[in-house]
Amino acid sequence: MPVIVMASPKGGVGKSTCAVLLASEFARMGADVTVLDCDPNKSLTRWASHGAPSGVTLKSDVGRSEIVPTIRSADGDGKIVIVDLEGVASQLVSRAISQADLVIVPMQPTALDAEIGSEALALVREEEEALGRSIRHAVVLTKTSAAVKSRVQKELEAQLSGAGIDVIEPSLVARAAFSELFAYGGDLTAMMNDSEMLTGGKVDKALANAQAFTEAVYERLK
Amino acid sequence: MSGSNRLAGLKARPKDTTVEEVRRVDEVGEARGFLDRSPRKKPGRKPSPRTFQLHPKVFPKVGEAIAAEAERLGITQGQLIELMWEKYEAHQG
Repeated sequence: MPVIVMASPKGGVGKSTCAVLLASEFARMGADVTVLDCDPNKSLTRWASHGAPSGVTLKSDVGRSEIVPTIRSADGDGKIVIVDLEGVASQLVSRAISQADLVIVPMQPTALDAEIGSEALALVREEEEALGRSIRHAVVLTKTSAAVKSRVQKELEAQLSGAGIDVIEPSLVARAAFSELFAYGGDLTAMMNDSEMLTGGKVDKALANAQAFTEAVYERLK
Repeated sequence: MSGSNRLAGLKARPKDTTVEEVRRVDEVGEARGFLDRSPRKKPGRKPSPRTFQLHPKVFPKVGEAIAAEAERLGITQGQLIELMWEKYEAHQG
């Protein structure tokens, strides 16, 4: 079963959020999901400490020397491995990319995110060349506006498409519920059904966005 | 989207994980600035749980004499200091 790697040498672009949303939604579909938290900030470990959804197993503190064997051991029939990487340019990142069936590069629609995120895209292409096999990769724009598509976002999408880079649709909209997942743990469905959880946002819209995003990722893994 | 039967359609591509391939991946990464950033361990030898480390500073002549005497007796400088300490304690009564 596939290995999905979240990669960007820039921090704060939404790697952990993407990982949590995909892990929750694939687990809801019945997959046995293993999430590898390779980020020293331990965002996913914090999320899981509040209660990970059924079907999600978390492994923390996976370093450079352990990443390849850990991915190999977690992989298996009916299993999906999701790797959340640190937001730096490290060998841990390059090794994880080499084991991926899909590399997702989250990017906020800003020039800085695009510039730094493009380093990850370039690395994937160079690894493809060095290894003599393709590594599927795609960009997802994150923290986008629910109301309007900014000029910068439109330009960035056009540039990425023009460069032949796969851009996942839909983008992940800036939703309070996505951030609150790290405070409450669990998944968006549980959040929607629990009136005591205060998100200050529209959980149903967030869930629809997460499901559409997961569907788009699923299509790339077939 | 629901139903585990859909997941059966998902496939993983075969990937080599040989030492040679990992080395190549490291090289490609390093060329682009993706370096080994694993936290470094504290340098130096770990303190022994059996012994205690002294850091005495003495005049060169005394130091040379202690080193020479330890060598003549075929013991370590630490063992010589232990002998000296025994004598000192015996002298103190």
